[in-house]
Amino acid sequence: MIPPPDGGACVAMVGKDCVAIACDLRLGMQALTVSNNFPKIFSYGDVHLGLTGLATDVSTVSDLFRYKVNMYRLREERNISPQTMANLVSSSLYERRFGPYFVSPVIAGINQTSGKPFICGFDSIGCIDFAKDFIVSGTASDQLFGTCEGLWEPDLVSCACSGDMG
Amino acid sequence: MVYSGMGPDYRVLVDKARKVSHTGYKRVYNEYPPTRILVQDVARVMQEATQSGGVRPYGVSLLIAGWDDGIEPEAEGKDQEEHDEEKKKISGKTGGILKGGPSLYQVDPSGSYFPWKATAIGKSATSAKTFLEKRYTEGLELEDAIHIALLTLKETIEGEMNGDTVEIGIVGPPEDRLLGFEGVEGAQGPRFRKLSPQEVEDYLTNL
Amino acid sequence: MGGFDFSNHNRNAALHAQGVPLPKATSTGTTIVGCLFDGGVVIAADTRATSGPIVADKNCEKLHYIAPQIWCAGAGTAADTEFTTAIISSNLELHALSTGRKPRVVTCMTLLKQHLFRHQGHIGAYLVVAGVDPTGAHLFTVHAHGSTDKLPYVTMGSGSLAAMSVFETQWKGKLTKDEAVKLCADAIQAGIFNDLGSGSNVDVAVITAEKTTLMRNYITPNVRERKARNYRFPKGTTAVLNEKIIKKEEISKYVTVHELEDDSVTATAETMDTS
Repeated sequence: MIPPPDGGACVAMVGKDCVAIACDLRLGMQALTVSNNFPKIFSYGDVHLGLTGLATDVSTVSDLFRYKVNMYRLREERNISPQTMANLVSSSLYERRFGPYFVSPVIAGINQTSGKPFICGFDSIGCIDFAKDFIVSGTASDQLFGTCEGLWEPDLVSCACSGDMG
Repeated sequence: MVYSGMGPDYRVLVDKARKVSHTGYKRVYNEYPPTRILVQDVARVMQEATQSGGVRPYGVSLLIAGWDDGIEPEAEGKDQEEHDEEKKKISGKTGGILKGGPSLYQVDPSGSYFPWKATAIGKSATSAKTFLEKRYTEGLELEDAIHIALLTLKETIEGEMNGDTVEIGIVGPPEDRLLGFEGVEGAQGPRFRKLSPQEVEDYLTNL
Repeated sequence: MGGFDFSNHNRNAALHAQGVPLPKATSTGTTIVGCLFDGGVVIAADTRATSGPIVADKNCEKLHYIAPQIWCAGAGTAADTEFTTAIISSNLELHALSTGRKPRVVTCMTLLKQHLFRHQGHIGAYLVVAGVDPTGAHLFTVHAHGSTDKLPYVTMGSGSLAAMSVFETQWKGKLTKDEAVKLCADAIQAGIFNDLGSGSNVDVAVITAEKTTLMRNYITPNVRERKARNYRFPKGTTAVLNEKIIKKEEISKYVTVHELEDDSVTATAETMDTS
């Protein structure tokens, strides 16, 4: 049996009055590259969601949140704020506590009411990691952690992020 | 939330409103529903009772007051003035998508609901609304609003008015002292509070 | 919530059998403690969250709100402590609202243990429950399988042994508030420095009959030094291949914009901010 495609790297960062979110575009099964154009960041109005992990779940979860965010917009006649989105993602993932999606999401956005940048990350069952600096996720998260810990500092003007797959 | 009509029906609706705001909203978004969403949920409960078999409609009309975070009308006005004098009034009407501040809704047994600046429900609602129409102005202070509300009540109801027969609930500035805890970043005190019988008595004597 | 969706369970078991690794859940390796004193109760926690050998969050919050005067410190699977406390908090609030009474700590503890026992230990939440209610100050521990303890001082988590050593050597009856806070903070620091699963800062919550005082980052013994050198890349290090900026004014190129006449429209649709 061929292992299903998964992997990817995603990073989100806070800078001075800005956020940045970046991902790789590779879709692969271990060493075999299947596609070089598989984006892992999805935008829902003011909020951007990065999804790494099992490719089938990346698609499923991104579609699920497109549905949920669209329903929210229709019901509330407003865009979802990054904070509200974070809690929505968290509760949706925890609902599948005993049969999770194999994804580790990352959220980046700017709150339109307060004007403040916001990022956060999750594990696959919905525990939120509210970080002030940066969030990493994916198979290269250890490497990204090292790069970010080494290079991140407060009030970066334009955020430059790069992730390299092993 | 206040009611006019059958007390037992009201208690059921209050329980349902509280429950739905947790199960249908807080447990998903970790925040309380905006006023309009809660009003819609309560209105749905009431509408369903008009159409379902084996039940009778709820015998109450409700007034639901709430406060939403977001850009408050005054703040938005100021912000707009700086940027664009002409467009000010356009968004001033709806408040835009980020509208915050106080709101007041009426919900009827049919399940229809209306936003109001000031209104009354109950037996003498018509005369009370006529009275309010004359007295109400934009940008009322809290003290004046309480005064007008009590005057309206006095004009339209029979029976004695004192601290034990009148209740006043306020949705206003946050009261951090009612929070019960301190040191939590971003925590705000409850905006809703009920005046004590003594406080109500004080307002009534000043009427 | 509370009702779980198991529809992925079979698929995940099949994937796992084929060698796909199960995702790592964030756990709070954790030192959490609690201690009764004369007139109230103190709970404290470290702020490290781990994912395997990696520190996932250097300053997470492990003191959870249940009710204004009932708080919970959580160890174990981070998502489980977060959501278990949230659902019990929600149920207690509804209960308090409909009874018109302040919630009691025993009620909270009972709801927690029933919830955890029902799930047979699969919800990995290990909790210290503390609070003051009309019947006095109370301190409990609740384990993931549903067992509970009632003690004057408690520790939990991977750093519980280090923390308990502090309590067992320094605890005495009739502590004052300040003594209890100091004792708890010392116990947490013993965990921070001697247990690899715990680290970073000390959070403390003091609950008395009057109010709860949360002292977030009460002690910060692990402040990061400023970087000795400047590692910033000069501007333009990353080549810009193409650039597109969409301004608010140009939005009409992408969507149809209807300008509304002032005062002539009685019912206006909400305008969507697409900036």
